[in-house]
Amino acid sequence: MDLQKSVLLNNLKKAQELLGTDENDEYHEGENEEDFVGDLPSFTNNAKKQPKSSFNSGKNLPSETALPQWNDFLQHRNVFTINNHRFNYFYSLFDTNAIENCKSIPVFIFHHGAGSSALTFAMLIKILQEKYAGACACFTFDARGHGGTQFIDDSVDTYSLNDFVDDFNANIENFIDNHLKPCSPASLEKISITLVGHSLGGSICTNVFPILKDNIKNKVVGVCMLDIVEEAAILALDRMELFLQTTPFNFNNMKDAISWHVNRGMPNDKPSAEISIPPLFKQDIISGGVSRVTDLSFFTSYWSTWFKGLSSKFVDLKTSKLLILAGNDNLDKDLIVGQMQGKYQLVIFQESGHFIQEDNSLKTAITLMDFMHRNDNKNVVIKTNWGAHK
Amino acid sequence: MDVDSDIPMHDAIESQQQQSSSSYNKESNPPENNKHVSSSSPITNSSPSSDIISNSIKDTVNTSTTHDNTQSNNNNTTSSSSSNINQLEEWIEHLSKCQILSEDDVSRLCKMAVDVLQYEQNVQPVNVPVTICGDVHGQFHDLMELFQIGGPCPDTNYLFMGDYVDRGYYSVETVSFLVCMKVRYPNRITILRGNHESRQITQVYGFYDECLRKYGSANVWKMFTDLFDYFPITALVDNKIFCLHGGLSPMIETIDQVRELNRVQEVPHEGPMCDLLWSDPDDRGGWGISPRGAGFTFGQDISEQFNHTNDLNLIARAHQLVIEGYAWSHQSVVTIFSAPNYCYRCGNQAAIMEVDENLNRQFLQYDPAVRPGEPTVSRKTPDYFL
Repeated sequence: MDLQKSVLLNNLKKAQELLGTDENDEYHEGENEEDFVGDLPSFTNNAKKQPKSSFNSGKNLPSETALPQWNDFLQHRNVFTINNHRFNYFYSLFDTNAIENCKSIPVFIFHHGAGSSALTFAMLIKILQEKYAGACACFTFDARGHGGTQFIDDSVDTYSLNDFVDDFNANIENFIDNHLKPCSPASLEKISITLVGHSLGGSICTNVFPILKDNIKNKVVGVCMLDIVEEAAILALDRMELFLQTTPFNFNNMKDAISWHVNRGMPNDKPSAEISIPPLFKQDIISGGVSRVTDLSFFTSYWSTWFKGLSSKFVDLKTSKLLILAGNDNLDKDLIVGQMQGKYQLVIFQESGHFIQEDNSLKTAITLMDFMHRNDNKNVVIKTNWGAHK
Repeated sequence: MDVDSDIPMHDAIESQQQQSSSSYNKESNPPENNKHVSSSSPITNSSPSSDIISNSIKDTVNTSTTHDNTQSNNNNTTSSSSSNINQLEEWIEHLSKCQILSEDDVSRLCKMAVDVLQYEQNVQPVNVPVTICGDVHGQFHDLMELFQIGGPCPDTNYLFMGDYVDRGYYSVETVSFLVCMKVRYPNRITILRGNHESRQITQVYGFYDECLRKYGSANVWKMFTDLFDYFPITALVDNKIFCLHGGLSPMIETIDQVRELNRVQEVPHEGPMCDLLWSDPDDRGGWGISPRGAGFTFGQDISEQFNHTNDLNLIARAHQLVIEGYAWSHQSVVTIFSAPNYCYRCGNQAAIMEVDENLNRQFLQYDPAVRPGEPTVSRKTPDYFL
């Protein structure tokens, strides 16, 4: 039954691809340019753009299937340079009018997983911005070796957990000091940060929290990990070779690349894949096709550092914690004990694939908003009727 | 302590399943199982006299086939006609071999159980002596072990504080057995509702899938989750020990306020009924946001005030895994957890708390029951790298 269904779906997708006309070379417009699209505030532009954005591009007619762009989802794109490393990042700021009467301004800072990129969170960020009606800020970036953050010298650059964590720490500081603070200095006291990491990004969030500067750490409301369990991740390492063998490095065109990923459920959601998958590829001038930006096999020697001790570190973090898992509850021992002792919140999206933020972006947004609201001491007053019945 | 035999093997899941069920047919009705288990020497750190335990084990052996006849006159109150009693005893015998009831029988059982449970109170009064137990979570063999350690029901009165289903592999057998015992001996056993006795939670943590697997449809899951709505949410032992699954609520200052709740509903996401099933005691004073995402945390000041206001000695609750099976939180809050080696991998002891006629308390700790290897639910290994 399932097989039949997936064959049918595959055929459907192939038919759609055949119908799709343009090869669309534009999605990587930043790739070979020295200057990224600037830092101009585009809030109003964005608002005008939204109605015709390809948010529902899955339903569009073939002639309209141009792929969506980053600025359909986020307001700004910029580059942060530190130690000769250039990080490509995206962010959306709060609307200063919208936050005027807010006691608390939610800020979501994201870290993607290995082999993914900043825009895996594009759909989720767009939904958060809409739900908060502009009264929130979001940041997402391409980690070293991913998307638009290309390191030059692979013989020098390393990819251990600590490298990723230090990069993240520097990027968080840069975002707060150079974007949030100038945007509304008076509002800085009101910001409430949630760190959200998918897969390896979850491990990076858990590991960055303890080393954040105090003036940032004390603004953090909580840490959220999306679909990562230490034990399962380490088991998955054993199967990586097979995975890499069955993962093509090149595709004839971007549409093939997107389709392949959607067929493999990475993510399942096609509209989201259309914005999240293109940054993983670059044009291959010789073949005329596209090839991967990130060669996962290059990271092999660092894998062992990425997840070690993650579950106990997460359970023991001195902040609020949320773990969202896809499929079923496959916690390891530390997470089971932690959950059964009430140390963190566990939410399971049974119908979701591994890319929770893409497959279930709306549910993820609502869950994050609840988590933020519930744990933000700027908002919370616990109502009690004790003493009222004397 | 026999942990190895509980560690799920990753091979041959199906054959193991068949194997284990057939070996239960042969071996594990209570009398035979006793020999088995008593040799595994229940550990009792809180040093109850070992005589008590060995006696109670002997009791099990001697009475498990006969006590029902002698006790039935005393216990038969609201629902049990003699044909019902025979039926229930047949079911109990069947279930005690870890065999499921038919769907029709579950349907009949749940109807009988509604007739009993709907007349119980939100704060169900319980007399001493009684043995108070925490989470079981589908660990059927450990539940049988519990009855060996604590003494057979109905000779010993029991109060269970919820979480019978999910996570363990025998949620169906466990909850069927406890509900059968409840209907058979309504005055001897009290079963409260835990946060897992809920439609929503059981769809995620295993009971729903187990019902599908064992019955081929969700009907049995529906019958039980509909029944869960009738379970009482708290109990009051001898007016002195307040028992519930989770903890206190900022909206519940007096026990009378619990009595005013409408409990016959799905466990809500928030509000007093949710709190009673979800809250945890905490080292920090006052009320706190619960890290679980539901309920609250409450400090010693809160529990002391509650006990003072309601003239209580003690709050007994479950809900949290504690490595030694029981743990004191504040001076007057005790957590009891009755699923040893939780999820077949946490390595914790289990405990139950005996309360005698004079409200003296004694904790009995125990390790996992000896049993054949258990089937494992195959875990998908995801491509976590991406």
